[in-house]
Amino acid sequence: MSVRVNPMFIDDLDSFGAEDVQLCYQCGDCSTVCPHADEVYKFPRKSMRLLQMGLEQKLETTLEPWLCYYCGQCSEQCPREADPGETMMSLRRWLISRYDFTGIARKFFKSRITEIIAIITVAVLTGTFLLFYGFSGGSIRIYDGEGAFLPSTFIHRFDLTVGAILALFLVINAIHMWYLVMIKGTPFKVPWWLYLKELYQLPWHFFTQKRYSECERKREHKFYMPWMIHLGLMLGYVIMLVLVMVFIELLQSGPKVLWQVHIFGYLATIGLVVGTIYFIRSRFKKHYIQYKKSHGTDWVFVVLLFIIVITGIAQHIFHRTGLLEVANITYVVHLMSVVPWLLRMPFSKWAHLVYRPLAMYLAAIRRDALTMQVSVLNSYPVVVK
Amino acid sequence: MKNCRIGVYICMCGTNIAKIVDVEAVARFASELPDVVLARSYKYMCSNPGQEMISQDIKENKLNRIVVAACSPNMHERTFRNALRSAGLNQYLFEMANIREQCSWVHTDTKEATEKAKALVYAAVCRVKLHEELESMSVDMCPNVLVIGGGIAGMTAALEVADAGNIVYLVEKDDHLGGNLARVDLTAPYLYSARDLLTERITRTNNNKKIHVHMGSKVTELTGFIGNFKAKISSLNGKPSDINKPVEVEIGNVVVCTGYKEFDASRIVHYGYGKLPNVITSFELEKMIRAGRIETKEGKIPRYVALIHCVGSRSQEFHPYCSRVCCMTALKYAHEIKSANPESYISDIYIDMHAFGKGHEDFYRRSSEAKTLFLMYEKGDRPVIHKASPKDDCEMLIEVNEKLSGEVIEIPADLVILMVGMEAREDSHEIARIVNISQDKEGWFIESHPKLEPVATTTDGIFIAGTCVAPKDIPDSVAQARAAAARILARIAKEKIEVDALYSEVNENLCSGCRLCNQLCPYSAIEFLEEKKQSHIISALCKGCGVCVAACPSSAIKGRHFTDQQVLAQVDGLFGIG
Repeated sequence: MSVRVNPMFIDDLDSFGAEDVQLCYQCGDCSTVCPHADEVYKFPRKSMRLLQMGLEQKLETTLEPWLCYYCGQCSEQCPREADPGETMMSLRRWLISRYDFTGIARKFFKSRITEIIAIITVAVLTGTFLLFYGFSGGSIRIYDGEGAFLPSTFIHRFDLTVGAILALFLVINAIHMWYLVMIKGTPFKVPWWLYLKELYQLPWHFFTQKRYSECERKREHKFYMPWMIHLGLMLGYVIMLVLVMVFIELLQSGPKVLWQVHIFGYLATIGLVVGTIYFIRSRFKKHYIQYKKSHGTDWVFVVLLFIIVITGIAQHIFHRTGLLEVANITYVVHLMSVVPWLLRMPFSKWAHLVYRPLAMYLAAIRRDALTMQVSVLNSYPVVVK
Repeated sequence: MKNCRIGVYICMCGTNIAKIVDVEAVARFASELPDVVLARSYKYMCSNPGQEMISQDIKENKLNRIVVAACSPNMHERTFRNALRSAGLNQYLFEMANIREQCSWVHTDTKEATEKAKALVYAAVCRVKLHEELESMSVDMCPNVLVIGGGIAGMTAALEVADAGNIVYLVEKDDHLGGNLARVDLTAPYLYSARDLLTERITRTNNNKKIHVHMGSKVTELTGFIGNFKAKISSLNGKPSDINKPVEVEIGNVVVCTGYKEFDASRIVHYGYGKLPNVITSFELEKMIRAGRIETKEGKIPRYVALIHCVGSRSQEFHPYCSRVCCMTALKYAHEIKSANPESYISDIYIDMHAFGKGHEDFYRRSSEAKTLFLMYEKGDRPVIHKASPKDDCEMLIEVNEKLSGEVIEIPADLVILMVGMEAREDSHEIARIVNISQDKEGWFIESHPKLEPVATTTDGIFIAGTCVAPKDIPDSVAQARAAAARILARIAKEKIEVDALYSEVNENLCSGCRLCNQLCPYSAIEFLEEKKQSHIISALCKGCGVCVAACPSSAIKGRHFTDQQVLAQVDGLFGIG
């Protein structure tokens, strides 16, 4: 079966950030230096080739872009300056838009204006709703308890609603990803029990990001710096997410709060502050190759996160120092940035929080299935005619 | 024979010879041979002190024969002959024994190698006794030059020679100058206009009073030898009487610049050339570009254009060689098509991208930057062109087993351009026969040395330049044309030419006129004298190869410097009989 080449595809990928992929002449240096490429997953070379030829059907079912953690060594090695690292990054963006059934992700990646307008709209709607709610039932001078401006029980319900919407999108897209990779893109049989056998991969990769630490370039840094900070940032917002989704009523209730919750809150905040500043600084300074090119959506992510962190801290300080009116207003601003940031997640690079561990899990299953297949084939005698 | 005073010199060649051959023992052995006056060993005989030692000994010891046992005569025979000449001795009274390539380099046993070296030296000593004084001949050099072919190489050679004040007869088969280059629009990689390059050449050629251009003509006969050729130029136009009468010209040297012809694409059935209307050759595209509009047969602007490389080149069935210019020409087309229609998508289907020259790699890169889609196919696994179905948005689909991805792919195409390779002209064997030069199995003319004599042939006075030698691009053709002109001008400047004394002679008393040798001579150096009914060797053409000497049933031919006696004496010496 032959597949049709699509020469227009490469133009489409431009807006996802793959601006230099046409320069690649397939020497394979990138795959040679990559610490993660192997016989089964031959990235970045193979993916670059599929991209050049516009073989969308092959690309949408590949896991290879997810196996790359963008250490940038391939881009440094590339004799044609075709930037394989950034190409893999662009392919991840493209895959996110491909998994997304709504088509919103694609619009965001293609046009920064659309994304910013969408964010502002959601922020304004959130703000209006919260202010309307606050002024209709409570007092701006009360932070928590009876007659509060934004009572914690309400916020809890509000958070859970936003979380449910987020989860809905993510789950549907993740199922789409599974379908593309395991059904459409896997021509061989995968026994069901392999899904159980490799299940540990999901939490393992989610919480350790071990492969990220294995990138050669990252290892050269003191204390595996980029890995540590990336992990810290991720754990920071995951903890924060759990805190606000589950323990928001404890968190908001002020000094009476359990000290355990406090500890988690502060640790998460440290992770978020350090991580955000580090990544904003890196994107400005461009001192590592992976930060040389920043897509518009990358900036939106870090800047929005920075606003969330700042307003979150400010609100906490205002609350504790008794400036309750200011605390309430800051709270509204905080939520105005949190809601679009969360709802944007399934349509942006941030979705890799879900797709990456899932990709590791599926990659392990496919590898097992393939090895079994090969060993079965090898056990048959070869008939030579 | 009488009064032979032989000097023998054994070279150590640093340690090249000395570490295997006991040179002192060989020198001692030689010094005891009859007629040997002295025998010496020395570190480097080819060095200046080594040569001076020979001259000195010739003068002081009245030596009249010299034997040097050293490397191959190919390497240093000329050096030692000069040493003899500088001492006033005829250069042919010299013999070299090769004890390096044929002894020390190929043996490991010191004792046996030394014995072999002794035998080689003894053979040389036996032979040198029979050497005769020979004088090389000198003939006049006619300053006129014949250039065959009026393409870029031919015109360049003609202008170069004529600008130095010599008469040139430029013979062109077509009725216009310019050759294949006249069919091209732009040149790669700098995109100079081919027309600009040619117009200047053509105007200068036509205006130059020293250049006699014979348009629509060909050379039908060439006789004589270097410096003294006679050529017949006949008009090809079927006009009667006087115009058709061949012109006879006298010339001293000939430059052959007959160029190439393009491969016939219909020979490859996969590509459907001649059947599918929008599969065209590179030259057909050039025609379109020069007409100013790249379009399909239906008159539409093609959206998808595919270029297929190596059509007829680099394949076992057609031509095994690379045609060298097609890769860059294809990139040039990619550029021209994209400039004419920025909406078009270009696929470049190649085996290997040969971007070997100055500016070529940059050109390739720019083509990549312009998003030309490069696709690689396996040498033996050619793309196949199908007609697309009506629901496709393109005319044709090209099926390729794409090597870099390992995928079998279909490439959409509205216009397919076949990059046809170069091949030797069908009449090249006729030219080769007329001017007496050789061709390789592909029909290209053979140079006398591929590295060191790229424009000379084995026939003295006949030079080759441009694409009649092998596929090459414009700068290489021009460089060859100028090189040939430079070689000729240097000879013209000398006015006389020296012919090596190593030629064969016919003993008129013994020749029976059987004409056996006439057919065998690889250099056409033997003519038959009708009135005497005997064969005669033109010494200026003879290379002294010895074929006629061996063939003559009456032993009437003597190879100078390779007489039977000399050779037999050497063989006897080798076995220690002499």
